[in-house]
Amino acid sequence: MPVVLIVEDDPGVREGLELGLTHLGHQVRTAPDGEAGLEAAARHTPHVVVLDVMLPGIDGFEVCRRLRAAGSTPVIMLTARGDDVDVVAGLEAGADDYVTKPVVPRVLDARIKAVLRRAAPQPVARTEAAGLTIDRAALVVTKHGRTVDLTPTELRLLLALSERPGQVLSREQLLGAVWDHDYLGDSRLVDACVQRLRAKIEDVPSAPLLLHTVRGFGYRFGPA
Amino acid sequence: MSGPPLWEPAPPARGLRGRLVLGFVGVSVVTAVVTGATAVVGALVLFAVAGPQSAAAGRRLRDATGVGELGGSDLVWVLVLAAVLLLAVSAGTGWLFARRVLRPVTRLAAAAERVTQGDLDVRLVPEGDDELARLATRFNTMTVTLGHRVDELGRLEARSRRFAADVSHELRTPLAAMTAVTEVLRDETDGMTPKAAQASRIVVTEIEHLNRLVLDLIEISRFDAGTARLDVGPADVGEAVRACLARRGWADVVVDVPAGLVVPLDRRRFDVVVANLVGNAVRYGEPPVEVRAALAGGALVLDVVDRGPGIAPDALPHVFERFTKADPARSRSEGSGLGLAIALENARLHGGTLTARNRTGGGACFTLTLPTGG
Repeated sequence: MPVVLIVEDDPGVREGLELGLTHLGHQVRTAPDGEAGLEAAARHTPHVVVLDVMLPGIDGFEVCRRLRAAGSTPVIMLTARGDDVDVVAGLEAGADDYVTKPVVPRVLDARIKAVLRRAAPQPVARTEAAGLTIDRAALVVTKHGRTVDLTPTELRLLLALSERPGQVLSREQLLGAVWDHDYLGDSRLVDACVQRLRAKIEDVPSAPLLLHTVRGFGYRFGPA
Repeated sequence: MSGPPLWEPAPPARGLRGRLVLGFVGVSVVTAVVTGATAVVGALVLFAVAGPQSAAAGRRLRDATGVGELGGSDLVWVLVLAAVLLLAVSAGTGWLFARRVLRPVTRLAAAAERVTQGDLDVRLVPEGDDELARLATRFNTMTVTLGHRVDELGRLEARSRRFAADVSHELRTPLAAMTAVTEVLRDETDGMTPKAAQASRIVVTEIEHLNRLVLDLIEISRFDAGTARLDVGPADVGEAVRACLARRGWADVVVDVPAGLVVPLDRRRFDVVVANLVGNAVRYGEPPVEVRAALAGGALVLDVVDRGPGIAPDALPHVFERFTKADPARSRSEGSGLGLAIALENARLHGGTLTARNRTGGGACFTLTLPTGG
């Protein structure tokens, strides 16, 4: 079972989530603030980090940015308010997904499994475009010969889009395929993840050659 | 709130000015007649007293000036002309006079109309020191006082709404801790003593209620704060309705929506509205519950109907109010008491309406109407 790191300042919520997730079979580590969270992330190398937004000292967004800079451990934001501002800020900081408090452990468990789900290796082995190589068998992405470090979510999104080059996929389709969400109105997850992917695989992220936005509908993979 | 508007624009007023002009003319004419009559009587008296000398003097006057050589009919014409002239002059003066007197009144009427429309910053400039000037000053004082009062009420309401929002947010953290352990509590009841098991079942159920209430409070406080945003995109209505029902396990609900009915919607908000209406029908009505939708007059019209007892007539006007429970005996039901209020806010955010009525054949019917922009 995966190791989950919970970074949450409220002792009740922290202990409650630890109990709830342990009950569902996870190995849980906890940290009461951002500093301790970053330390614990380095020491325990968790499979996934569940990160509260409102933390004393370094806030959740900053912790998320630093975790992202350090590696590709998936992050699920725990937003206290469920406010759009928090959600968007969390996703921009690099979070893979978010849940709003109060959260039932079973829902959190499903989200954890979704962000950890590895894409299945596919027989159509390679996609090459604009200096990008996607090795579907080894699940390795390289850009101009250098390996691109992607989170599992980013990799799944890239695979989902590049599987059918030239075909437009709606945000809802991508949300279902990549995040297992059926919750409506979460298309921001897709938008934020596409932004992050562009930053990693496009030569000029603001003038994408690979990940094209189809206004009002979704996204399309393909050179030009 | 519906019903007839409390205020309607006043028709342009003309009557008073007309009457003032007419009055002025009347006074002028009467004055002229009285003056004329006095002159005639005076002339007669003068003639009677000093007849012959006067006649001679008259003749001399006529010879010297030429006045008086006119015949009888000429005199009539002169009189008519004078009368017309008099009328015109007095009417003109009367009109100017009326306009001058009425100008402050017209301004007051315009200002009052703006106040009625909600503009409490309107002020009048008092002219002179007459009654109308004093009226203008009183009017200004009134709008200032009214403005303060409205501001105060607005502040109070904003404060109480913010308080409700803050309370809901504060409740979230302890609720989050409790929610995190409900599954453990529920799954471990087997190993508990019967009393402990019952106690934990009650706790788990009530935590779920509290959760729903707090989430609904937070949702509605977003509408109050004006932070609710609409995310519209083309959506297949039948698909959206069926997905909504499937997600909540309402398999027995009948769906009657034409295939390929695509309208601009905020999918999430539409889902909330349908879920609230159907949830209500399933809970309080009798099966079969039906969802029908069609385009009518450039709008999407969606009905949710049931075959239950319907809504009590005295409760009908209040069904969309917060924490209204149709049946006092059912004061603590599964719902938060905010479901229909939230549904209504969502309909309004779309620029649409949500109404409730009882069907003639029995059962309640909720109608959602959303503009399709075409």
